[in-house]
Amino acid sequence: MAFHKDILRIDCEAETKRICSFIRQQVGDMRKAGAVVGLSGGIDSALSSELCVRALGKEKVLGLLLPEKESSPVSAEYAGKHARKMGIACETFDITATLDAFGVYDRRDSVIRAVFPDYDASWKSKISLPADLLSRDALSFFTLKVQDAAGNVRSARLKNEGLRGIVAATNVKQRTRMVSLYYYAEKENRLVCGTTNKSEAVQGFYVKYGDGGVDIEPLQHLYKNQVYQLAEHLGVIREIIERAPSPDTYSFVVTDEEFYFRMPYGTLDLLLYAWENRVPVGEVGAVMDLTEEQVKRAFRDFTSKQNATRYFGGAPPTLDSPN
Amino acid sequence: MSGERNARDGIRDQFRGFIIGNFAVPGGEAGLKNDASLLEEGIMDSTGVLDLVMFIEETFGIQVKDEELTPENLDSVDRLVTFVEKRTGR
Repeated sequence: MAFHKDILRIDCEAETKRICSFIRQQVGDMRKAGAVVGLSGGIDSALSSELCVRALGKEKVLGLLLPEKESSPVSAEYAGKHARKMGIACETFDITATLDAFGVYDRRDSVIRAVFPDYDASWKSKISLPADLLSRDALSFFTLKVQDAAGNVRSARLKNEGLRGIVAATNVKQRTRMVSLYYYAEKENRLVCGTTNKSEAVQGFYVKYGDGGVDIEPLQHLYKNQVYQLAEHLGVIREIIERAPSPDTYSFVVTDEEFYFRMPYGTLDLLLYAWENRVPVGEVGAVMDLTEEQVKRAFRDFTSKQNATRYFGGAPPTLDSPN
Repeated sequence: MSGERNARDGIRDQFRGFIIGNFAVPGGEAGLKNDASLLEEGIMDSTGVLDLVMFIEETFGIQVKDEELTPENLDSVDRLVTFVEKRTGR
Protein backbone atom coordinates (compact mmCIF):
# COMPACT_ATOMS: atom_id res chain seq x y z
CA MET A 1 0.00 0.00 0.00
CA ALA A 2 1.34 3.45 -0.93
CA PHE A 3 2.33 5.64 2.01
CA HIS A 4 -0.02 8.57 2.61
CA LYS A 5 -1.01 10.91 5.42
CA ASP A 6 -4.18 9.01 6.32
CA ILE A 7 -2.56 5.59 6.36
CA LEU A 8 -3.23 5.22 10.10
CA ARG A 9 -7.00 5.73 9.79
CA ILE A 10 -8.88 2.72 11.16
CA ASP A 11 -12.43 1.39 11.06
CA CYS A 12 -13.19 2.12 14.70
CA GLU A 13 -16.22 -0.14 15.07
CA ALA A 14 -14.48 -3.10 13.49
CA GLU A 15 -11.37 -2.49 15.58
CA THR A 16 -13.44 -2.24 18.75
CA LYS A 17 -15.05 -5.62 18.02
CA ARG A 18 -11.68 -7.19 17.27
CA ILE A 19 -10.11 -5.94 20.53
CA CYS A 20 -13.16 -6.85 22.62
CA SER A 21 -13.07 -10.36 21.21
CA PHE A 22 -9.38 -10.55 22.18
CA ILE A 23 -10.10 -9.39 25.74
CA ARG A 24 -12.95 -11.89 26.19
CA GLN A 25 -10.80 -14.67 24.80
CA GLN A 26 -7.93 -13.86 27.17
CA VAL A 27 -10.15 -13.59 30.22
CA GLY A 28 -11.66 -16.96 29.32
CA ASP A 29 -8.33 -18.63 28.57
CA MET A 30 -6.86 -17.40 31.86
CA ARG A 31 -10.06 -18.42 33.72
CA LYS A 32 -10.45 -14.98 35.21
CA ALA A 33 -13.60 -13.33 36.47
CA GLY A 34 -12.83 -9.92 35.01
CA ALA A 35 -10.20 -7.23 34.58
CA VAL A 36 -8.50 -4.54 36.61
CA VAL A 37 -7.11 -1.43 34.92
CA GLY A 38 -4.89 1.23 36.49
CA LEU A 39 -6.53 4.55 35.68
CA SER A 40 -4.00 7.36 35.28
CA GLY A 41 -6.30 10.04 33.94
CA GLY A 42 -4.61 9.66 30.55
CA ILE A 43 -5.92 8.56 27.20
CA ASP A 44 -4.45 5.04 27.10
CA SER A 45 -5.86 3.77 30.38
CA ALA A 46 -9.17 5.46 29.57
CA LEU A 47 -9.37 3.55 26.29
CA SER A 48 -8.25 0.24 27.80
CA SER A 49 -10.95 0.47 30.44
CA GLU A 50 -13.61 1.45 27.87
CA LEU A 51 -12.70 -1.61 25.82
CA CYS A 52 -12.82 -3.87 28.88
CA VAL A 53 -16.28 -2.54 29.70
CA ARG A 54 -17.43 -3.20 26.13
CA ALA A 55 -15.91 -6.67 26.18
CA LEU A 56 -16.87 -7.87 29.65
CA GLY A 57 -19.58 -5.57 30.99
CA LYS A 58 -19.08 -2.84 33.57
CA GLU A 59 -19.65 -5.22 36.51
CA LYS A 60 -16.52 -7.16 35.60
CA VAL A 61 -14.15 -4.21 35.36
CA LEU A 62 -12.37 -2.60 38.32
CA GLY A 63 -10.62 0.74 37.94
CA LEU A 64 -7.72 1.44 40.28
CA LEU A 65 -6.44 4.95 40.96
CA LEU A 66 -2.87 4.93 42.29
CA PRO A 67 -1.84 8.54 42.91
CA GLU A 68 1.24 9.76 44.78
CA LYS A 69 2.15 13.16 46.12
CA GLU A 70 3.78 14.30 42.86
CA SER A 71 0.90 13.25 40.58
CA SER A 72 -0.96 16.03 38.87
CA PRO A 73 -4.20 16.68 40.80
CA VAL A 74 -6.22 16.53 37.59
CA SER A 75 -5.09 12.94 36.99
CA ALA A 76 -7.28 11.54 39.75
CA GLU A 77 -10.06 14.01 38.95
CA TYR A 78 -10.25 12.97 35.28
CA ALA A 79 -9.80 9.27 36.02
CA GLY A 80 -12.60 9.37 38.58
CA LYS A 81 -14.91 11.29 36.26
CA HIS A 82 -14.28 8.83 33.44
CA ALA A 83 -14.83 5.82 35.73
CA ARG A 84 -18.17 7.27 36.82
CA LYS A 85 -19.13 7.82 33.19
CA MET A 86 -18.40 4.15 32.45
CA GLY A 87 -20.21 3.05 35.63
CA ILE A 88 -17.38 0.83 36.86
CA ALA A 89 -16.31 0.19 40.43
CA CYS A 90 -13.27 2.19 41.37
CA GLU A 91 -10.78 2.09 44.23
CA THR A 92 -8.09 4.58 45.18
CA PHE A 93 -4.83 3.62 46.87
CA ASP A 94 -2.33 6.42 47.48
CA ILE A 95 1.15 4.95 46.99
CA THR A 96 3.05 7.89 48.54
CA ALA A 97 3.73 6.08 51.84
CA THR A 98 4.98 3.00 49.99
CA LEU A 99 7.32 5.13 47.88
CA ASP A 100 8.48 6.99 50.97
CA ALA A 101 9.21 3.75 52.79
CA PHE A 102 11.36 2.63 49.88
CA GLY A 103 13.14 5.98 49.93
CA VAL A 104 12.15 6.86 46.36
CA TYR A 105 11.93 10.61 46.93
CA ASP A 106 15.05 10.78 49.13
CA ARG A 107 17.16 8.70 46.76
CA ARG A 108 16.13 10.77 43.76
CA ASP A 109 16.57 14.07 45.60
CA SER A 110 20.08 13.16 46.70
CA VAL A 111 21.01 12.71 43.03
CA ILE A 112 19.46 16.07 42.19
CA ARG A 113 21.29 17.77 45.07
CA ALA A 114 24.59 16.52 43.68
CA VAL A 115 23.83 18.73 40.67
CA PHE A 116 21.92 21.55 42.40
CA PRO A 117 23.07 21.63 46.06
CA ASP A 118 20.37 24.07 47.20
CA TYR A 119 17.54 21.88 45.83
CA ASP A 120 14.94 21.02 48.49
CA ALA A 121 11.55 19.31 48.69
CA SER A 122 9.69 22.51 47.84
CA TRP A 123 11.28 22.55 44.38
CA LYS A 124 10.01 20.71 41.32
CA SER A 125 12.09 18.57 39.00
CA LYS A 126 11.96 16.74 35.70
CA ILE A 127 14.24 15.30 33.04
CA SER A 128 13.82 15.86 29.31
CA LEU A 129 15.51 15.33 25.93
CA PRO A 130 16.48 18.08 23.47
CA ALA A 131 13.35 19.58 21.91
CA ASP A 132 12.16 19.37 18.33
CA LEU A 133 14.39 16.78 16.70
CA LEU A 134 13.12 17.62 13.22
CA SER A 135 14.18 21.27 13.43
CA ARG A 136 17.55 20.81 15.10
CA ASP A 137 19.73 17.75 14.97
CA ALA A 138 20.97 16.70 18.40
CA LEU A 139 21.75 13.39 20.01
CA SER A 140 19.45 12.15 22.76
CA PHE A 141 20.89 13.34 26.07
CA PHE A 142 18.89 14.06 29.20
CA THR A 143 18.76 17.44 30.90
CA LEU A 144 17.71 17.82 34.52
CA LYS A 145 15.44 20.84 35.03
CA VAL A 146 14.50 22.17 38.45
CA GLN A 147 12.14 24.93 39.47
CA ASP A 148 12.44 26.61 42.86
CA ALA A 149 9.53 27.87 44.94
CA ALA A 150 9.80 31.31 43.33
CA GLY A 151 9.43 29.80 39.87
CA ASN A 152 13.05 30.16 38.78
CA VAL A 153 14.12 27.37 36.43
CA ARG A 154 17.64 25.97 36.16
CA SER A 155 18.93 23.12 34.07
CA ALA A 156 22.02 20.95 33.66
CA ARG A 157 22.97 18.07 31.42
CA LEU A 158 22.99 14.78 33.31
CA LYS A 159 25.82 12.31 33.32
CA ASN A 160 24.93 8.64 33.11
CA GLU A 161 25.33 8.00 36.82
CA GLY A 162 22.91 10.81 37.68
CA LEU A 163 20.46 9.81 34.97
CA ARG A 164 20.42 6.21 36.13
CA GLY A 165 19.94 7.28 39.74
CA ILE A 166 16.92 9.45 38.90
CA VAL A 167 15.36 6.93 36.50
CA ALA A 168 15.87 3.98 38.85
CA ALA A 169 14.17 5.85 41.69
CA THR A 170 11.35 7.20 39.56
CA ASN A 171 10.61 3.82 37.95
CA VAL A 172 9.71 2.50 41.39
CA LYS A 173 6.51 4.51 41.00
CA GLN A 174 5.35 2.42 38.03
CA ARG A 175 6.59 -0.78 39.64
CA THR A 176 4.70 -0.03 42.84
CA ARG A 177 1.58 0.50 40.75
CA MET A 178 2.14 -2.88 39.13
CA VAL A 179 2.35 -4.56 42.55
CA SER A 180 -0.86 -2.83 43.63
CA LEU A 181 -2.69 -3.88 40.47
CA TYR A 182 -1.69 -7.51 41.00
CA TYR A 183 -2.83 -7.38 44.60
CA TYR A 184 -6.36 -6.50 43.49
CA ALA A 185 -6.18 -8.81 40.48
CA GLU A 186 -5.26 -11.86 42.53
CA LYS A 187 -7.66 -11.06 45.34
CA GLU A 188 -10.58 -10.87 42.93
CA ASN A 189 -9.42 -13.32 40.24
CA ARG A 190 -9.06 -10.62 37.59
CA LEU A 191 -6.42 -10.18 34.92
CA VAL A 192 -4.38 -6.98 34.77
CA CYS A 193 -5.14 -5.12 31.57
CA GLY A 194 -2.26 -3.07 30.17
CA THR A 195 -2.34 0.35 28.53
CA THR A 196 0.83 0.52 26.42
CA ASN A 197 0.32 1.54 22.79
CA LYS A 198 2.51 0.79 19.78
CA SER A 199 4.19 4.20 19.65
CA GLU A 200 5.41 3.58 23.19
CA ALA A 201 6.15 -0.14 22.88
CA VAL A 202 8.30 0.11 19.75
CA GLN A 203 10.56 2.74 21.33
CA GLY A 204 10.64 1.25 24.81
CA PHE A 205 8.65 4.04 26.44
CA TYR A 206 7.45 1.98 29.39
CA VAL A 207 8.94 0.55 32.56
CA LYS A 208 9.93 -3.09 32.55
CA TYR A 209 7.93 -4.82 35.32
CA GLY A 210 6.18 -1.48 35.85
CA ASP A 211 3.49 -0.43 33.41
CA GLY A 212 4.94 -3.18 31.18
CA GLY A 213 4.05 -5.79 33.85
CA VAL A 214 0.53 -6.84 32.87
CA ASP A 215 -1.43 -9.87 31.64
CA ILE A 216 -2.68 -8.48 28.33
CA GLU A 217 -1.89 -5.48 26.13
CA PRO A 218 -4.99 -4.73 24.05
CA LEU A 219 -3.57 -1.44 22.67
CA GLN A 220 -0.09 -2.54 21.74
CA HIS A 221 -0.89 -2.86 18.04
CA LEU A 222 -2.28 0.71 17.89
CA TYR A 223 -0.30 3.88 17.24
CA LYS A 224 -1.16 6.76 19.54
CA ASN A 225 -3.07 8.41 16.70
CA GLN A 226 -5.26 5.30 16.51
CA VAL A 227 -5.74 5.33 20.29
CA TYR A 228 -7.23 8.81 19.89
CA GLN A 229 -9.51 7.65 17.06
CA LEU A 230 -10.89 4.82 19.18
CA ALA A 231 -11.15 7.01 22.29
CA GLU A 232 -13.29 9.49 20.34
CA HIS A 233 -15.39 6.65 18.94
CA LEU A 234 -16.03 5.11 22.36
CA GLY A 235 -16.80 8.40 24.11
CA VAL A 236 -13.83 8.94 26.40
CA ILE A 237 -14.42 12.24 28.20
CA ARG A 238 -13.17 15.46 26.55
CA GLU A 239 -10.88 16.41 29.44
CA ILE A 240 -8.82 13.27 28.89
CA ILE A 241 -8.82 13.49 25.09
CA GLU A 242 -7.66 17.11 25.18
CA ARG A 243 -5.01 16.62 27.87
CA ALA A 244 -1.36 16.64 26.72
CA PRO A 245 0.03 13.12 27.24
CA SER A 246 2.48 13.00 30.14
CA PRO A 247 4.23 10.28 32.16
CA ASP A 248 3.00 12.16 35.27
CA THR A 249 5.88 10.86 37.36
CA TYR A 250 7.81 14.11 37.82
CA SER A 251 6.76 17.02 40.00
CA PHE A 252 7.72 19.55 37.29
CA VAL A 253 5.19 18.98 34.50
CA VAL A 254 6.68 17.22 31.49
CA THR A 255 4.93 15.96 28.35
CA ASP A 256 5.69 12.69 26.56
CA GLU A 257 7.13 14.79 23.73
CA GLU A 258 9.57 16.64 26.01
CA PHE A 259 10.43 13.59 28.03
CA TYR A 260 11.07 11.08 25.28
CA PHE A 261 9.69 11.45 21.76
CA ARG A 262 11.08 14.85 20.68
CA MET A 263 8.25 15.45 18.20
CA PRO A 264 4.43 15.61 18.30
CA TYR A 265 2.57 12.29 18.21
CA GLY A 266 0.93 13.12 14.87
CA THR A 267 4.31 13.37 13.17
CA LEU A 268 5.89 10.65 15.24
CA ASP A 269 3.28 8.02 14.36
CA LEU A 270 3.56 8.51 10.60
CA LEU A 271 7.35 8.44 10.73
CA LEU A 272 7.29 5.38 12.97
CA TYR A 273 4.95 3.58 10.58
CA ALA A 274 7.24 4.47 7.66
CA TRP A 275 10.33 3.30 9.56
CA GLU A 276 8.75 0.00 10.57
CA ASN A 277 7.45 -0.65 7.08
CA ARG A 278 10.66 0.42 5.34
CA VAL A 279 8.98 3.12 3.27
CA PRO A 280 11.70 4.83 1.17
CA VAL A 281 13.01 8.00 2.80
CA GLY A 282 12.27 10.12 -0.29
CA GLU A 283 8.66 8.95 -0.39
CA VAL A 284 8.19 9.71 3.33
CA GLY A 285 9.65 13.18 2.92
CA ALA A 286 7.43 13.97 -0.07
CA VAL A 287 4.24 12.89 1.73
CA MET A 288 5.08 14.60 5.04
CA ASP A 289 6.73 17.71 3.59
CA LEU A 290 10.05 16.91 5.28
CA THR A 291 13.57 16.81 3.90
CA GLU A 292 15.31 13.47 3.51
CA GLU A 293 17.73 14.58 6.23
CA GLN A 294 14.84 15.14 8.67
CA VAL A 295 13.37 11.73 7.92
CA LYS A 296 16.75 10.05 8.35
CA ARG A 297 17.24 11.89 11.64
CA ALA A 298 13.93 10.55 12.96
CA PHE A 299 14.73 7.02 11.77
CA ARG A 300 18.13 7.17 13.46
CA ASP A 301 16.49 8.23 16.72
CA PHE A 302 13.99 5.34 16.50
CA THR A 303 16.83 2.87 15.92
CA SER A 304 18.82 4.24 18.83
CA LYS A 305 15.87 4.05 21.25
CA GLN A 306 14.90 0.59 20.10
CA ASN A 307 18.46 -0.61 20.60
CA ALA A 308 18.64 0.94 24.07
CA THR A 309 15.43 -0.72 25.24
CA ARG A 310 15.45 -3.98 23.29
CA TYR A 311 15.87 -6.08 26.43
CA PHE A 312 12.65 -4.70 27.98
CA GLY A 313 10.34 -7.08 26.14
CA GLY A 314 9.92 -10.82 25.98
CA ALA A 315 10.66 -13.51 28.49
CA PRO A 316 14.08 -13.49 30.19
CA PRO A 317 16.63 -15.42 28.10
CA THR A 318 17.31 -18.95 29.31
CA LEU A 319 19.64 -21.73 28.22
CA ASP A 320 16.70 -23.18 26.32
CA SER A 321 16.03 -19.89 24.47
CA PRO A 322 16.67 -19.82 20.72
CA ASN A 323 19.58 -17.50 19.82
CA MET B 1 53.09 15.50 7.94
CA SER B 2 54.02 12.15 9.36
CA GLY B 3 53.75 13.59 12.90
CA GLU B 4 50.26 14.99 12.22
CA ARG B 5 49.12 11.68 10.89
CA ASN B 6 50.48 9.91 13.94
CA ALA B 7 48.67 12.23 16.33
CA ARG B 8 45.42 11.59 14.49
CA ASP B 9 46.09 7.88 14.54
CA GLY B 10 46.65 8.05 18.29
CA ILE B 11 43.31 9.77 18.91
CA ARG B 12 41.61 7.27 16.61
CA ASP B 13 43.15 4.36 18.53
CA GLN B 14 41.89 5.81 21.81
CA PHE B 15 38.35 6.08 20.47
CA ARG B 16 38.45 2.63 18.92
CA GLY B 17 39.67 1.17 22.20
CA PHE B 18 36.93 2.90 24.15
CA ILE B 19 34.16 1.90 21.75
CA ILE B 20 35.25 -1.74 21.50
CA GLY B 21 35.71 -1.97 25.25
CA ASN B 22 32.43 -0.37 26.21
CA PHE B 23 29.89 -0.95 23.43
CA ALA B 24 28.72 -4.11 21.72
CA VAL B 25 30.42 -3.99 18.32
CA PRO B 26 29.31 -6.75 15.94
CA GLY B 27 32.45 -8.44 14.69
CA GLY B 28 34.66 -6.79 17.34
CA GLU B 29 37.74 -4.82 16.30
CA ALA B 30 37.46 -5.86 12.65
CA GLY B 31 33.76 -4.94 12.54
CA LEU B 32 34.30 -1.31 13.58
CA LYS B 33 34.60 0.83 10.46
CA ASN B 34 36.00 4.29 11.10
CA ASP B 35 33.41 6.00 8.91
CA ALA B 36 30.37 3.96 10.03
CA SER B 37 27.49 5.60 11.93
CA LEU B 38 27.62 4.35 15.51
CA LEU B 39 23.89 5.00 15.90
CA GLU B 40 22.70 3.44 12.67
CA GLU B 41 24.92 0.39 13.15
CA GLY B 42 23.37 -0.10 16.60
CA ILE B 43 26.77 0.27 18.29
CA MET B 44 25.90 3.30 20.42
CA ASP B 45 22.52 4.00 22.02
CA SER B 46 21.27 7.02 23.93
CA THR B 47 22.97 6.05 27.19
CA GLY B 48 26.15 5.25 25.28
CA VAL B 49 26.25 8.86 24.10
CA LEU B 50 26.66 10.02 27.70
CA ASP B 51 29.44 7.50 28.36
CA LEU B 52 31.20 8.66 25.22
CA VAL B 53 30.95 12.31 26.25
CA MET B 54 32.40 11.53 29.66
CA PHE B 55 35.29 9.68 27.97
CA ILE B 56 36.00 12.66 25.72
CA GLU B 57 35.92 15.11 28.62
CA GLU B 58 38.16 13.00 30.87
CA THR B 59 40.58 11.82 28.21
CA PHE B 60 41.09 15.02 26.25
CA GLY B 61 40.37 17.56 28.98
CA ILE B 62 37.64 19.42 27.11
CA GLN B 63 34.12 20.38 28.17
CA VAL B 64 31.65 19.26 25.51
CA LYS B 65 28.85 21.81 25.18
CA ASP B 66 25.21 20.75 24.74
CA GLU B 67 25.10 22.22 21.25
CA GLU B 68 28.07 20.08 20.27
CA LEU B 69 26.22 16.84 21.03
CA THR B 70 25.31 16.22 17.41
CA PRO B 71 25.75 13.27 15.06
CA GLU B 72 27.95 15.52 12.92
CA ASN B 73 30.49 15.65 15.76
CA LEU B 74 30.12 12.29 17.46
CA ASP B 75 28.54 9.67 15.20
CA SER B 76 31.60 7.83 13.83
CA VAL B 77 35.20 7.25 14.81
CA ASP B 78 36.39 9.63 12.08
CA ARG B 79 33.98 12.36 13.21
CA LEU B 80 35.06 11.95 16.81
CA VAL B 81 38.71 12.33 15.85
CA THR B 82 37.97 15.45 13.81
CA PHE B 83 35.91 16.92 16.66
CA VAL B 84 38.67 16.38 19.22
CA GLU B 85 41.29 17.79 16.85
CA LYS B 86 39.16 20.87 16.30
CA ARG B 87 38.46 21.40 19.98
CA THR B 88 42.02 20.80 21.16
CA GLY B 89 43.61 22.72 18.29
CA ARG B 90 45.84 19.78 17.42
